[in-house]
Amino acid sequence: ESGDPQRTALLLRKAWTLYSVTPLYRFCRGRLRDYARLLSAFIAAEKQKGLAVEVGVELDIKVALSSLPELQGSEQDEPALLVQLSSRSRASPRNSEDKILWLGCFCCVYGDDLSENMPEDFTCLPLFLANGAESYMSVVGNWFQKTFDCIFRRLAISPFSLSWMVAMWAGCKVDKAASAVELVFSVPRLPQPLDISYAIHPEDAKALWDSIQKTPGEITQEEVDVFMDCLYSHFHRHFKIRLSATKLVKVSTAIASAHCDGIVKMLHSQYLSGVLMLLTELAISQIQ
Amino acid sequence: MDEIVAEYIRRTVLKIPRDEIKMMLQKWGFLSEAQLQTLNFHQIKDNISQEVVQLCEENSADIKQAAVLDIIYNHIYQNKRMWSVYQMRKTGEELEYFDLTDFKKKFKRRLRSALKNVTITFREYEDNAIWIRVAWGTPYRQPNQYKPSYVVYHSQTPYVFISASVLKSNLPLLCQALIVASNYHDIREMELRSHSLNSLKDIVFKRYSQNFQTYCPKPLQGKTVEPESVDLRIINENRNEKERIQRLNQEAFGDGPQPILQFAQYKLETMFKSSPELDVLDKKEPFRCLVKFSSPHLLESLKSLAPAGMADAPLSPLLTCIPHKARNYFRIREKKGLFPGSFVSP
Repeated sequence: ESGDPQRTALLLRKAWTLYSVTPLYRFCRGRLRDYARLLSAFIAAEKQKGLAVEVGVELDIKVALSSLPELQGSEQDEPALLVQLSSRSRASPRNSEDKILWLGCFCCVYGDDLSENMPEDFTCLPLFLANGAESYMSVVGNWFQKTFDCIFRRLAISPFSLSWMVAMWAGCKVDKAASAVELVFSVPRLPQPLDISYAIHPEDAKALWDSIQKTPGEITQEEVDVFMDCLYSHFHRHFKIRLSATKLVKVSTAIASAHCDGIVKMLHSQYLSGVLMLLTELAISQIQ
Repeated sequence: MDEIVAEYIRRTVLKIPRDEIKMMLQKWGFLSEAQLQTLNFHQIKDNISQEVVQLCEENSADIKQAAVLDIIYNHIYQNKRMWSVYQMRKTGEELEYFDLTDFKKKFKRRLRSALKNVTITFREYEDNAIWIRVAWGTPYRQPNQYKPSYVVYHSQTPYVFISASVLKSNLPLLCQALIVASNYHDIREMELRSHSLNSLKDIVFKRYSQNFQTYCPKPLQGKTVEPESVDLRIINENRNEKERIQRLNQEAFGDGPQPILQFAQYKLETMFKSSPELDVLDKKEPFRCLVKFSSPHLLESLKSLAPAGMADAPLSPLLTCIPHKARNYFRIREKKGLFPGSFVSP
């Protein structure tokens, strides 16, 4: 099944948990229907064993695998693979819509670093996004690991990467009603924990970034450092607190938000690809 | 007994933790001791509340009595609610004798003249606190007992603590009724909010141990930073610095326990300034930010930042002024003129 432009909208405004996935061995793009059937049977068996059980109503879980060719960076990238678990309660009428229980998406946006020297039998889809109950992730993850000899690992996002994200995203052009550029810091090891939310008006954050960035379209580590230092020193001037000594745990802009536990939300269709490219890079670093 | 009342009593009892139900019903005093004896407090709460409702039925409880039980619950669990502080103002300096009966009469009259359907309940507590519960209705609907507003008024002070329900439209009417009843002419909301009602009282009644502005000429005795270690080869690094921080913290925050606040919010409208080598933003417009600090016990948390090495000592007055300015919402603008580095908070 091929994707359609509407379906990339599926990725927007949802909280996705991130994983890195090692290359899949002997994955065949033509066999999606077969895989869906096999995964469905696997889930049914796990349910009978007592895992992945939803309390209450009896659910028939339907599995659908499809390609999302829109989510690709370069020609070398594998098209994204969407895994959808939906249900129709046996109690509800025939023609009622299926409820989406869980979504998973394998993707690779500008993953040349990984796919370059990959042997024939391997498919590179290093980034995995999951939305829905953990129990379904567990079952689906297990099946893919068993079937394609790959490994899923949670992808955490370091404060270093979060700074890159906020600097990049703050510089993006957005409309008048854009939300603030927010950085959330946590100071857990005090006798009483402290959280600090530092939100900057998006126009002012963009103005600051624009005055730092030398070449449009290019970002250097030095520029990110200057951007962060400016924010830290403005804060220090007022509160005498050194934000650089605290832990940056979350960044949030009109483009996307990201949490250090490896949870992202993508908010703007125009920049979807850009965000996925960044996340693909993080996933690849974790694999290599 | 009305089913609405029955259901309300049932749900109120369900909120109470099981081991506290008996105590609260005793405080309520609506059921006799003999009736309370018949209750089995060892069954599931659902059943206990059903039995309580039965007994209330026997005594023909009405909404007034049910409201008293609700006040008792909210007085004990006052920290579950978010409280805002209001200050009333009088023209003259005369201290009028406070007449509770007069207050209640005027308050009820003012509310009822504007709104036919309201449930108003009063309860006095030992610390001179008058608790008022108001359930709001409309000209066509009975009061919603599940979203009442609570007011705590200490008659010897101009302060009122309000935990409004979600229905904020009733707030002006509530404020009006308060000033009419208490013979003040004006009321304004202070920028001070917390879950801890007692801490808000501590702050506005100045009951906490305040930092003293006078300079302490003698070095403070007592608190050593760390216990002496037996091995003389191990010395305290930066002992002087640690003691300096300790002293400055003490001056800023005082000695005693801090009032409990959960957050402080600062709307910054100051100019962005960077070091001259960085060829960055040099706008004539303010750099607009919103900073919010949150913690289960904010002031204790802030107090521990300098000793932990994450902040300079002395900490910024923007933070240390919270209790004596009695606010935790601030708007900071650049101070024009002689001292460009300083801030003014309107």
